[in-house]
Amino acid sequence: MNHTSTKKVGWKLENFKKKTKKKFRRAVPDRDNWKMWFDEVESIAELFRGYLPYYLVIALPIFIIISPANPVAASHEFPVYRMQQFDLHGVQYGCRSAPINMEAKALSTWSSSRHCVISKIQDLSMERFKEISEKAGALVVVLPSDLTALSIEDRQNILELEDLMMEREVSIPVYFTHWNPSIDDVLTDLSTTIPTTPQPARGSALETLMHSVSANGYQIVVNTHQSHTRTDVSVANIQGKLGGHGMEDKLPTVAIVAHYDSFGVAPDLAFGADSNGSGVAVLIELARIFSQLYSSQRTHAKFNLMFLLSGAGKLNYQGTKKWLEDHIDSIDGSPLQNAHFVICLDALSSGKDIYVHYSKPPKEGTATSNFFQELTQAAKELNPEVKVELMHKKINLADKRMFWEHERLSMKRMAGFTVSALKSHQDYSRATILDNTIDTESIAQKASILSEALARYIYNLSAEDVFTENLKVDETAIEGVMDFLVAQPRAAQVLATKQNSLVTSLQSVLSRYLKDVKVSHLVPDKRDPDFSFYDVTKATVNVYSVKPAVFDLFLTFAIVAYLGLSYLCIQNFSLFYGLVARVSVPAKSKVQ
Amino acid sequence: MTFYHFVNCVALVYVPYHFTYKLSGLSEYGAFWKCFQAAQHYVFTQLVKMIVVATFFPESELEVKGDGNDAFSEWLKASVDLADLAGLYLVLAKIPGKGHNKILTAAVGWGGAEMILSHVYSLWFGARGAEFDWKYIQGCLDSNISLVQHISTAALVWLWSRHDLKKTLMPIVYFLLLAAIFKPVLFNTLLVSMGYGPWLRLALKAVTTGALGLVTLYIYSGLAKAIGVY
Repeated sequence: MNHTSTKKVGWKLENFKKKTKKKFRRAVPDRDNWKMWFDEVESIAELFRGYLPYYLVIALPIFIIISPANPVAASHEFPVYRMQQFDLHGVQYGCRSAPINMEAKALSTWSSSRHCVISKIQDLSMERFKEISEKAGALVVVLPSDLTALSIEDRQNILELEDLMMEREVSIPVYFTHWNPSIDDVLTDLSTTIPTTPQPARGSALETLMHSVSANGYQIVVNTHQSHTRTDVSVANIQGKLGGHGMEDKLPTVAIVAHYDSFGVAPDLAFGADSNGSGVAVLIELARIFSQLYSSQRTHAKFNLMFLLSGAGKLNYQGTKKWLEDHIDSIDGSPLQNAHFVICLDALSSGKDIYVHYSKPPKEGTATSNFFQELTQAAKELNPEVKVELMHKKINLADKRMFWEHERLSMKRMAGFTVSALKSHQDYSRATILDNTIDTESIAQKASILSEALARYIYNLSAEDVFTENLKVDETAIEGVMDFLVAQPRAAQVLATKQNSLVTSLQSVLSRYLKDVKVSHLVPDKRDPDFSFYDVTKATVNVYSVKPAVFDLFLTFAIVAYLGLSYLCIQNFSLFYGLVARVSVPAKSKVQ
Repeated sequence: MTFYHFVNCVALVYVPYHFTYKLSGLSEYGAFWKCFQAAQHYVFTQLVKMIVVATFFPESELEVKGDGNDAFSEWLKASVDLADLAGLYLVLAKIPGKGHNKILTAAVGWGGAEMILSHVYSLWFGARGAEFDWKYIQGCLDSNISLVQHISTAALVWLWSRHDLKKTLMPIVYFLLLAAIFKPVLFNTLLVSMGYGPWLRLALKAVTTGALGLVTLYIYSGLAKAIGVY
């Protein structure tokens, strides 16, 4: 009896439980919904607990920490050249810092010191540059692809800008790069971005959101260390001579000097075709001609000729200064001490006229004035359209800057002058990166006038052509020299290494024609240097295309929505399956 | 574009697999280990495929891109993917169970291995960088589509291995299997040459995979109904 009753009760109880369970399953109140969610989370956690190895919890943070910052190469990567940086007589010039890691903005959209401005040089006016150098974070300037094909106005603007940039020190990193299609894309992208700060929240939030999705930001990274003073600076002077006929010590001397370095706002872009590649080419050509003359007894003049290629000319002629110290102050009986005059060559190809710059007017009858007369005469006969004009510029002792090479010589009371095709000592084209056009004809013209005048002077001949065909100026030789010189940047800091290939080449070229070719090095004083150079002249910029931070959040929301949708799909897949099953035909083959 | 983006992408890739695993009731059957075995089979199959490709198509690295020739060799290389089917067959054979559990276990294991080994790897080295590219998100969505594709393929292989399938349906199964194998090559050559953008290609891929899956589902449900399996 008891059994059946308990069984009955048991069965009833079970039924009742089933019924209530069913009830609950069909209409679950909210409270239980939350409970289900918690259960779900707990089950996921249990899954992790069961299957996820614990060491991953430790390993993953370690992975995050040791992972490299930029494991992927940037979409745009190209070389950039840093602006000049040097100290001269204690004054700091140029751009003072090197690394960049900030967001890129165009010229019209930058606003803060956390922005790196990218701009074409044609769009960069002087006021804008001043503003950028004070307030922005960094500057990248894009140079046009063909520097020789600029309009006169553009050229003038660039020259003035260069001068302004070098006037004083700039605290932000400034880099130059050549135009290429990828940077053009970057520029277009940046200039079409609506400036973010000045605009108030116009348009709906959705609009800003959509804008942030489609916008393309760029991050500019130049991964270099901060620029340091270079300690391995060694400036070379290359000299050679052609001894006169007879006792060299008793013979008078004429010296010819040209500095072989160049200057520009970026040292790796300073090719200096005119200033002073042309000077070097003329000097080498004169060496060639006179060495041929001196090789034969008949034409061996009673004059010593000294040739000097001086280094660091653009930094107040440091090379010449050292050379003079060596020859005048220390060594007695150096042939230089009874030099009639020293001819300095600087920028001989830009115009057709010859300007002879001097600091002290030569008295009538001195060697210098005689030479001037010969020069004027030679020009009149050989090329009547070439004017020879004498320009007097006094040395201002208060101003530390020396504008012509002969000023160094005048300080040592030597007779010197500079022959140049430039009229003014302040001509911008003496120190620009735009200086890379070679005008061989103009150089050859000046060289032939000079060699004629010099020959007349040392052989003391009256007005008649000295040179026969073989000894005329060889234009192809000049072209060869110029091509070689302009092929590489010749800024003083680029060349100031102990074993520089350019210096070695110049030395071997001079050795072909001159005797006693020596290379002397100038090392700046360690404690109180006259000039110092800095490293990091060239780097690679990585331009990463990045999305604004809002975009990440937006993406998270989108992904969560998508995952929610997929969850629902998978959850309710059984319904879908049921639908298909109802439609499908039994596919079982009849049993054989 | 930073670690956060990487986490986004990983979530996008991984969570559907997780949902499939959880919500199809596999976890109740303790099928995790079986999934792992399926993953092992995947790795093994890939290795075999790589050796075959390296042996029979060694010059493919150095060959200059000639048009017609290239397409043909691409098709040949894709035919090596038939080994995938063999691998899936082995997996299905090894997994005890009936009907949808078997197929889903195999598919989730297989797809999961592919997801981790191909996508997460490329995400780790790509999405974490400072550079942003839409291709990572596209890759994740592609991986989701492959999940559906793997389920279809596993189902097809299972159908193919059944002896009690109606004879008239066998050719369709064969056709669908071949389509599944050659679909990637077809997409690459056809759509890229037509110049469709990546999003459009992704959409088309989703549509075709969906269609494929639908037909497979139809056949499968028919057989399952007849056998009495769910």
